[in-house]
This record gives sequence, C-alpha cells and structure tokens, in this order.
Amino acid sequence: MTARPRSLQGRLLVMVLGTVVTVWALTVTATWLDVRHELGELLDGHLAQAAALLVVQQGHEVAEGDHDLDAPTLHRYAPKVAFQVFHEGRLALRSANAPVQPMIKHGATFPAGFSSVLINGAEWRVFAAQGGESDIQVFVGEQVDSRAAILRAVLRSTLWPMLLALPLLSLAAWWSVSRGLAPLRWLGRVLAARQPHALQAVQVDNAPAEMVPVLDALNSLFSRIGALMESERRFTADAAHELRTPIAAIRAQAQVALGEADDAARQHALQATLAGCDRATRLVEQLLTLSRLEADDRSTLAPLALDALARRVVAELAPQAIAKRQTIEVNAAVACAVRCDATLAAVLVRNLVDNAIRYSPPSARVHVGVQPDPSGTRLTVEDSGPALAPVDLQRLGERFFRVIGSGEGGSGLGWSIVRRIAAVHGAAIVIGRSAALGGLSVTVTWRAEPVSNGPPSTHGG
Amino acid sequence: MRILLAEDDLLLGDGLRAGLRQLGFQVDWVRDGEAADRELRAQPYAAAVLDLGLPLKDGLDVLASVRRAGATLPVLVLTARDAVPDRIRGLDGGADDYVVKPVDLHELAARLRALVRRAHGQPQERLSAQDVTLDPAARSVLQAGVPVVLSAREFDLLQALMLNAGRVLSREQLEQHLYSWGQEVDSNAVEVHVHHLRRKLGPGLIQTVRGVGYLLARDGPAP
Repeated sequence: MTARPRSLQGRLLVMVLGTVVTVWALTVTATWLDVRHELGELLDGHLAQAAALLVVQQGHEVAEGDHDLDAPTLHRYAPKVAFQVFHEGRLALRSANAPVQPMIKHGATFPAGFSSVLINGAEWRVFAAQGGESDIQVFVGEQVDSRAAILRAVLRSTLWPMLLALPLLSLAAWWSVSRGLAPLRWLGRVLAARQPHALQAVQVDNAPAEMVPVLDALNSLFSRIGALMESERRFTADAAHELRTPIAAIRAQAQVALGEADDAARQHALQATLAGCDRATRLVEQLLTLSRLEADDRSTLAPLALDALARRVVAELAPQAIAKRQTIEVNAAVACAVRCDATLAAVLVRNLVDNAIRYSPPSARVHVGVQPDPSGTRLTVEDSGPALAPVDLQRLGERFFRVIGSGEGGSGLGWSIVRRIAAVHGAAIVIGRSAALGGLSVTVTWRAEPVSNGPPSTHGG
Repeated sequence: MRILLAEDDLLLGDGLRAGLRQLGFQVDWVRDGEAADRELRAQPYAAAVLDLGLPLKDGLDVLASVRRAGATLPVLVLTARDAVPDRIRGLDGGADDYVVKPVDLHELAARLRALVRRAHGQPQERLSAQDVTLDPAARSVLQAGVPVVLSAREFDLLQALMLNAGRVLSREQLEQHLYSWGQEVDSNAVEVHVHHLRRKLGPGLIQTVRGVGYLLARDGPAP
C-alpha cells in the first residue's frame, strides 16, 4: 500500500484476509506434517508385516532352485513395491521388479530394520528381516516417491477448496467491512451537508456503540462552539443596544440646541451633545479593546516594571482627579518587575485607576500601590468612595453592568476588560472594602515567577 | 400636557426633558423604576415615557405594577431593545407605543400627542368645541377660523378642558395638568388663566361649577 490517506476499509480487509490466509497456511502445514508422519508409520508397518509374512512362509516351504516369483501386478502401485527372499545366501524368491542383488549390500552383520537406499537411481524405503536361524533373509522395499505422491494428493485435496474459497471470502469480507463502516460514511455525508452555522447535535440513537464516544465528543464540541457563537452574538447585540442610548442622547440634545432660543439653555444642550459624543467614543474604544482581547488571547509577555507603569498611568489620569478635587497618590517605592504584555497591563491599570476616580465623589482619595508580595507582585487601587454592596460586587464584570445611582456615564465594560486582561496574565483579582480608605479596594496579584533577566518568551495566556 | 419621563441615562433624560418642554409638554423626570412607579400612582399624568432598563425596578415591572393599580394613562416605552419579542412583550405588558432609541424629538412628541388624544377618545389630532379649534401639534387655536393668541398656560388649560370636554375638572386637577414639579403655583393661577381665556374666547365656552371646578361643554349649542 502506498502512503495515501490510509483507508480504514483497506486496513480491515488486509487484516481479516491476512489472518484467514495465515490460519489456513498453519492448518495445511500441520495437516501435511501429520499425514506424512501417519502415512510413513502405516506404510512402514505394511513393509514390516509383508517381510514377516515372507520370513514365516519361507521357513516352512523353502522353494528349491532359484526362480522368480510370477507375482502378478495386481495394482498400479505394485511396480513401486518389491521384495527379495534369500535362503542361505542365495536368492530364493523375488518380485519381478526386484533386483537380483540384495537391496541392501551388507557384510557379516545383517542390517535388520528400515533403511533408505538408491536402486537404479530411485530412492527406496527398505525393510530387512531375518529368519530365526539366520538362513532366511527378506528385503521388502517400496519406492519413496509413491509416498510423496500420496502426500501431494492429500495436500491438493486440502488446498483446493481453500483456494476456491479465498476470492469468495475476500468478497464477503469486503462487503461486510464496507457495510460495517457505513455509519462512518453516513457521518461524513451528514457533516459535509451541514451549513456553517448548523450546530445542532448529531443523532446518536441509531449510531453503533463504537461511534457513540466520537459523536458525543462531536456534539459536545458543537454545543461549546454554539455557546461561544451565541455569547458573541449576544455581545454584539448588547454592544449595539448600549450604543443606542448615547446616540439617542446626542440626538435629543442636538435637537434641543437647534430649537432653543435661550442662549444659556442652548449652550447647555451643546455641551451635553459633546459629552454624549465623548461617552459614545469611550464606549466604542472599550468595545474594541474587549473584542481585540477576545479575538486574540496570545499576548507577548515580557518583564515590565509595574511600579513605573503605575506612576505613568496615574500621571496621565491625575488631571481628571484634580478636576474633581480628589487626592491621588502612588506608593511604589520598590521596583517590581512582572511578566506581562505592556499594552494590556497599561489598559488594566488605567481602567482600575479611572474607575476609582470616576466612581468616587469629589474630594475623595485614591491610592495606587505596587508592592512585592510573598505570592508575587501586588497592585492595589483603593479609594475613599462608596464601597460596593455585596450584590453589586457579584455582578461587577458582567458586561454593561453599571452601578446604579453612581451618576457616572461609564460603559460598564471596564471590569470585563480588567478581568479579561488579568486572565490573560494569570493574575488574580480580589475586590473588597479598603481598610485604609473605606471605599473600594481592588488587588491584582501577579504570581511570582522567575523574571530574572531571561530572554522574553512568547506564550499564550 | 404633563407627562412623566422615566430614564436613567443622565444625558438622554436631560435632553428629552428639555426637548419635550420646548414642544409644549410639562415634564417630570425620574431616574429609577421605583420613583416612576410611585409618581405614576400619585400624579395624574397625561402620559408617560418609560425606559425599560431602569435601575431598582425594570420598566416592564413598573408598567405591570401601575396597570394592576388601575392606571389607564397612555405609556410610551422608549428603549434600546429592538428585537420583535421585546416589542411584543412591551406592548402586551401594557405599553401603548414602543419606540426604539434613538428617536426624533418631534416624532416622540407627536406620538405622545396621539396617545393622549386617543386615550381621551378623540380620533382627530385637532380638538374642537363650539366654534373653537385647538391644534396640539401647532399649539394654535382658531375661533371661527380666526387665530387667537394664547399664552402657554392658557393653551394648556384650554387643551386640558377640551380633552375632558363634558367633565368637570377641579382647580387642583387643572393645576396638576399645568405645572410640573418645582414650578411655583399661585393660589389663584387657574382663576386668572380662566379669566383670560374667557376674555379672549368669549364667556360662554368655559363654565364655572361653583364649589367644584370648571367645565367645557361637549359640542352642542351654546346655552
């Protein structure tokens, strides 16, 4: 067989037929050995028997003179059997096809028993026997090729039916295997005929038991893919819905501005229109970040100074805090390197700090800390704003969940993004009440791992 | 016409309130479902604009709750959910109209006027009584084909009386139609507006039921 895609049917066929042929070959060999042995025993027995008869007979009526026996050729095998009887060293009796000389040339000692000799170029099996007084010597011989002919005949009769049966057997095996593999071909056809979005389970009811694990695995895969697609679909729908409200606000405010005669009211409406645009922009950015995160969770992880990153992000966001008269400070005295994707880590820290500023009231305090921790490196963002109720803590991170009454127009996506990024980095998030400031405290812990100046490597999250 | 706006989004709520005010509505704005429920039970609004994704109590729950309490006012659901099953659920849940965000302010106002009109059994956009015709969309009033200039309050008062033609409205009821929250109401404001209306439209249109309130007679010959 060549290296084409290996056919299951072909393999099964080869295996079945190979086994059958091997078993047959063994059977024939065993039969041949057995028959040869039994045949040898039987024919040897006949030779010995014949020799014994001749010895006994010759002892009673010793024929005078030397003469051949006119033994008639009674059977087609008869020319292949010969005998000689010697009386006191002289040939007393022989069959027509027997030579005059003793079949076994011998000296003083008589070679009693079986031996093989060549007579006129043919191999003979000869049994030699003596009378009681050693004056009668009998040789009975048989041509060996007659034995071989019998063996061949036996073998032929065993092999012929088998050789005739082999094509039939092959055909039957091919048909059976082909029928047995029909469910596989059926599955192939069913799957090939499917639309890309048809993810319903394949029916297991009529499938053979061997295929049930495959079908189960396949169905489970289908259902997982279906769930994934459904969640994507829902996310897209949610995102579109979530964009509707800012757009509705922009539209309403713009119409108000158009229709407003009073300057102050028009200014207010125009400012609100701009605020609506900012919010829609932010929502779109967050959505894009999230969709990029979900589409590609392979990020380049490399050692990064988290303390420096925290300082940089806080520097970026400080104007927002100052505008709300909030106090924001960073406590990152110790250099802490963590293995992370620089862009994603910045998004994570920015989201956390931005949330703290956004959801804390004016004059609140926001603390950002980076410390080495026995279990790794810890980033803490705390504020003195209102802490979340337990029920809100649980829902935090559901997409588009906003804390009720916070009065802030956040997208509600920040938490999803933070959680996703933490998952990519294998970092743990703990949310709780800040012991120092009384508001919300978020701790992200990067597991300790050797980040000593090894070469940056890439691996999936 | 006084309506309740239930919308949790600050920018959108602010914009809708300002826009509907420009278009002649008195707007009270609440930002969560429980407040919406409370106000709808307590005040005689001409109509309500209800967002479905309200905090504390979902818009549909608010709707079911006020409908159970016997409120028949027209409710327009304004929502981001646009799937057909959502619309069906909203309408079956007691909404009179279902509008998907974003919406044009003028369309929203027109839908509200239509809802209010139908709720009062008026098939036509224009209201008329005797020789006076009132156009809520244009906010104009004609008497015998001649335009009559009315102030916003006078117009609202006339509209309330014409919508409820044949029924006596108390001074308190009329005040509630005319003023939204936080607006100062003089104790004799309604009397003053009625006085002005009578001066502009003739004394026979609005009748006083002493000790009870005011009545605009259903179409028929003037007494």
